[in-house]
Amino acid sequence: MSKQDTKPSLEARREFLSKLGRAATCTGAAVGAAALGVMPAVSAKSPPSAEADSFPTKDYDWTKHQWAFGVDATKCIGCLRCVEACKHENDVPRNAHQFRTWVERYVHIEGEDAVRIDSQQDPVNIEASGSEKEFRFANRYKDAKVEKAFFVPKLCNHCTHPACVQVCPTGATYRTKDGVVLIDHDYCIGCRYCVQACPYGARYFNEEKGVSDKCTWCYHRITKGLQPACVEVCPVDARVFGDTKDKESPISLFIRNNRVQVLRPESGNAPNVFYVGIDKEVN
Amino acid sequence: MPKHIFRLLSLIAGFLVVAMIAIPLLTDKSFYRFGHYRADSVPEIAAQEPVLQTANYCKGCHAARHAQWSASNHKSVTCEVCHGAAKGHPQNGKLPIPKDTAKLCTLCHEAMTGRPKTQPQVQVAQHSGGQQCAVCHNPHSPKIAAATTKVTGNAAAGKQRAAACSACHGADGISPNDTWPNLAGQNAAYLVRILAAYKSGDQKDVAMTPLAQALGNADIQNLAAHYASLDCPTAPGKSAIGNAVAGKALAKNCAACHGETGIAGNPAWPTLAAQKPGYLVNVLKAFKAGLRKDPMMAGVSRGLSDADIANLAAFYAEQSCKTTK
Repeated sequence: MSKQDTKPSLEARREFLSKLGRAATCTGAAVGAAALGVMPAVSAKSPPSAEADSFPTKDYDWTKHQWAFGVDATKCIGCLRCVEACKHENDVPRNAHQFRTWVERYVHIEGEDAVRIDSQQDPVNIEASGSEKEFRFANRYKDAKVEKAFFVPKLCNHCTHPACVQVCPTGATYRTKDGVVLIDHDYCIGCRYCVQACPYGARYFNEEKGVSDKCTWCYHRITKGLQPACVEVCPVDARVFGDTKDKESPISLFIRNNRVQVLRPESGNAPNVFYVGIDKEVN
Repeated sequence: MPKHIFRLLSLIAGFLVVAMIAIPLLTDKSFYRFGHYRADSVPEIAAQEPVLQTANYCKGCHAARHAQWSASNHKSVTCEVCHGAAKGHPQNGKLPIPKDTAKLCTLCHEAMTGRPKTQPQVQVAQHSGGQQCAVCHNPHSPKIAAATTKVTGNAAAGKQRAAACSACHGADGISPNDTWPNLAGQNAAYLVRILAAYKSGDQKDVAMTPLAQALGNADIQNLAAHYASLDCPTAPGKSAIGNAVAGKALAKNCAACHGETGIAGNPAWPTLAAQKPGYLVNVLKAFKAGLRKDPMMAGVSRGLSDADIANLAAFYAEQSCKTTK
């Protein structure tokens, strides 16, 4: 056996090795093919040429913009046309409880320690509007001794370090390179962690679609060179939107020419909606 | 190696292989392209069609309206704020023209705690008495600015020319007849405007048209200056027609232009205080019937009944015109 074994064993080894080689090629190909999904992601980072063209659309390159939003509360008249426009633009359920943007009213009444806060979803205001589908502030403080009162528009802050993105288990919400926090409705599983995580209450759950939803700064408009719907309709320029990479854009001037502040800076989310003319009670 | 450990390890290895193959197959191709999300969702979101179309879109067909609007104080209120989103218009039909302007306009203009002082605001009840805003205001150019015609006439020259008018309007501008208006103390700019309207044919009257056509522009200026300089009549007291108390309530709707007691705030509009009640009734009926043309007066007189008109006339006739000038 041992004598004769040498030759066949060599052949056997060759055969074995060639089989092994073929097997390795096959598995390699299979794994490689399977891994294609992952591989380009890794390889994409090294050659920037192909991808750098223009993303997400051919006319709009997100690496060339960095969006931010300004709110001048001293100008807001509480007409709620922004809320109305947003509902239309973004197919937000037409009820008085789910909003991508909303307006709050802060009223200090003589002799009261706490500030009174209401928004368009307050029952008194719903009654004044006549329907849950229309929005209006009731003139409820006309006979009160008001020391100070003002309106504050609110919306998603599109934070630089968004808590909502951190908690999303499926990667359905993310921050784009141009600074907008978006939701991928196809990947959202409706777990509502993000609704809970947002310190600003900017997100709501859309029961009809079974997904979380929130302000996108009208990403479909701004990528086409339009203003967000709420900015477009605001009659008093209380809302300002623009590109911080353009030093002469409305938002750059707004931030430069005003003393601006953000809501809940201590939360560490680094919001990108900048406010002028609000009190410490606003957060 | 014990058999059961081997089995366990091979099971784990098997799972790992399945997972290694399944994960890339089930993960969207664009998922890790920029990070832990599906990159393709970005162009998907960006591809949504805008619903609000902006005023430039409207301008394409409604250029004249756009021009009027963009020159007005309302230029910051875009078309779609009042008319709704223009997506699908005109293909899918017309956009609404708001009917309830008293509700719509007050969204911004109702005097309310918290609104900045720079915002034009009105106490709705006192300002219009619940009347629709569009009756007096053109929403596309809301500011009511009756052009104040400058009156440069010479009152003395006007006095001579006025001899021809005195048969009807009285030597001192106080008419002897209930159906002809007093002119004494009337706003000169208003008189100029009306005389010019008779002269041009914009306003017609059997007696006034030929008389006014004989006047030169200087005559009109002089006459207006003359009548404006005269002492306005004393109120005739109780009027035979109408109920002045009922008229007072109605007159709130007229106060924005004609003053609370009929003394106009703007010289281009007539003072009504102490005017002949019969004349006021005739004029209001003429506005209502469209015989006298004025877009604003046509609107406000449309809803008045004959009794309302009589009451208003009675109220204004009783007012004193002496409080100013």
